Amino acid sequence: MVIQENLGILDKLKILSDAAKYDVACTSSGTKRKGSGTGIGNCVEAGICHSFSADGRCISLLKILLTNECVYDCKYCINRCSNDVPRATFTPEEVCQLTIEFYRRNYIEGLFLSSGVLQNPNYTMELLYQTLCLLRTKYRFEGYIHVKAIPGASPVLIEKTGYLADRMSVNLELPTAEGLKKLAPHKSRRTILAPMRQIQTMRQENQYDLTVYRRSLRFVPAGQSTQMIIGATPENDLQIISVAESLYQKFQIKRVFYSAFVQVNEDAALPTLPGGPPLLREHRLYQADWLMRFYGFEAGELLSEKRPNFNVFLDPKCDWAIGHLEQFPVEVTTADYHTLLRVPGIGVKSAKRIVQARRYGSLSFEGLKKMGVVLKRAVYFITCSGRMYYPVRLEEDAIVRNLLAGEKQDARMEVPKYHQMSLFDDTMPFADLPNMR
Amino acid sequence: MTVFLCEDSVCGILTGVYDAWDSRLGHANVKLALKKGYQPEFFTDCREVGPDAEKADKVLRTLDRKMYLEDFEALYQALLSADDQKADDIYRMIVLALHTGKKLIHALEHPTIFRIFRMARKTGREAGHCCEFLRFRELEKGILFSVIAPQAQVLALIGEHFADRFPMEHFMIYDKTHQAMLVHEAGKEWVIWEHIEAFDETKLKLSDNEKEMSRGWQIFFDTIAIQERKNEKLQQQLLPLKYRPYQTEHLEKEEKCALFSK
Repeated sequence: MVIQENLGILDKLKILSDAAKYDVACTSSGTKRKGSGTGIGNCVEAGICHSFSADGRCISLLKILLTNECVYDCKYCINRCSNDVPRATFTPEEVCQLTIEFYRRNYIEGLFLSSGVLQNPNYTMELLYQTLCLLRTKYRFEGYIHVKAIPGASPVLIEKTGYLADRMSVNLELPTAEGLKKLAPHKSRRTILAPMRQIQTMRQENQYDLTVYRRSLRFVPAGQSTQMIIGATPENDLQIISVAESLYQKFQIKRVFYSAFVQVNEDAALPTLPGGPPLLREHRLYQADWLMRFYGFEAGELLSEKRPNFNVFLDPKCDWAIGHLEQFPVEVTTADYHTLLRVPGIGVKSAKRIVQARRYGSLSFEGLKKMGVVLKRAVYFITCSGRMYYPVRLEEDAIVRNLLAGEKQDARMEVPKYHQMSLFDDTMPFADLPNMR
Repeated sequence: MTVFLCEDSVCGILTGVYDAWDSRLGHANVKLALKKGYQPEFFTDCREVGPDAEKADKVLRTLDRKMYLEDFEALYQALLSADDQKADDIYRMIVLALHTGKKLIHALEHPTIFRIFRMARKTGREAGHCCEFLRFRELEKGILFSVIAPQAQVLALIGEHFADRFPMEHFMIYDKTHQAMLVHEAGKEWVIWEHIEAFDETKLKLSDNEKEMSRGWQIFFDTIAIQERKNEKLQQQLLPLKYRPYQTEHLEKEEKCALFSK
């Protein structure tokens, strides 16, 4: 361990933002708050991304650790205590200064404060609380604050912090308890789930208080989120999205984040990933996550025990639709909102626009295009006033082939050719195609 | 056909709407166009309309009374857009709204409504981007200053956002394209100064703290990216190049700074 003293604030910023970058959640959504007129800051419901870093991820919050010193030795983590990396610790005052100065210049939407475990969970949580308290009271900061709840910290501290923050999160770290035991021996499922449950219960009580006594303080108004590492342990996609689904249902989590495992440490317990982080897999999981949160899909519909992993070539929605061709084509002029949502190429916005627009008159394919429907994908699954855009054979292989070809060119499907049936049919169409699913 | 040529401003276009309607030539026989860049056509009769605050105000009051809020918001955003055909579409939309008395903005199959919708969406997105990507730099005496170069006249749309956010700050946002400046004095309402000519932002002096903080932001911006995930194409898709000359994190060196050379 390199011991450096008298680090400047910018040196600390470099060390502690570098240490925090593997945390994925950087959203500032979920709270709508007008400025009080005497402090600094407000919150916008949808959140604001202020910049995008070289890896294409959004920069919304000042994402830093309070300290990267840690007593734990989690195998996947850059800050594990057995790693030899430069260590630094911010004082609460320094964090506040940086936050305010960055916020004033419209660099950031607020603060994302996480921390390594210094001494013990309670001591660390106390420091986090002090920082937030200083920022909210002395600096009168009214922007967004996302803070980590340290597993194992006292419920009192978590409660006090929750009244100052907009969002809190406890990292699930790995999708299964076995994985956690293997890679993060100092953490356990129980200590992780306890604060999650506490935040959920307190939020519910707070909702009640808010309706009864209007001016009550708000507890974690933007809800809680969590994240798990993908690809460090051998779980399949079905297990991961089932865990996410139960978190959404049982813990009322606002967001589950998936972070493709980046190999920062050499350790026998960790997999080697010669192809780099599993980014495509992460992408498919996010797509499925959106389907579960906004499109009314269930984990069990998207994947099954037989097919526990996502299709590499097709997005989960197309993949589902192709497996359920009996429900298509959908007539866009009459289908209800929830049915429209299940059509590939139609999203939440375009489905809403379709429902609105058909009150004023008939729809056309040109009109659908204007409303934002991606016809490239949707043509195989919709009819408009009883007609398809062009003749389409509702057949699994044919659609898959055209969807994949459509990635490069707008290949129109050929009109089906009919031929005389015979007992010994050797002209199976597309028999030579590899099975994509 | 009579073409009413109006100035490209909210007041100018609304005056055009008033005069075109008031001319009693019939809606089919009049057309609105922007004075700037207008190409004369055959068999048309041109009338120039100067901005008249009283007439514009009359139109606004009527719209406020008779139009649905959602439609009005879209119309207002379209008024600010950079589209050079906007004047006539705005006139048609107002005629439609006052004649039908219905909420229109969802009827996207209608060509006029769709064009208004598209203009409003574009302006709204640009205003959103300005709220995101605009950067303030601190001048001497703690005044925050920013330069933007949007296509649409977004200042009117972003003023509220920043005034609510920084009530106790003095700040100015200079719109280079339209030579307008949004000015907010601590604890007061924001205002827009128009027709600012010969304003040289490079003469302004930065505060001492500004240099340290902008360096801090550049450090943060560089370290927060994960090298193993590098994806510049995605970055460019989400953060278009046109915003970058005005962003602190993309000023390579203080000396080369596009906004404030020493």
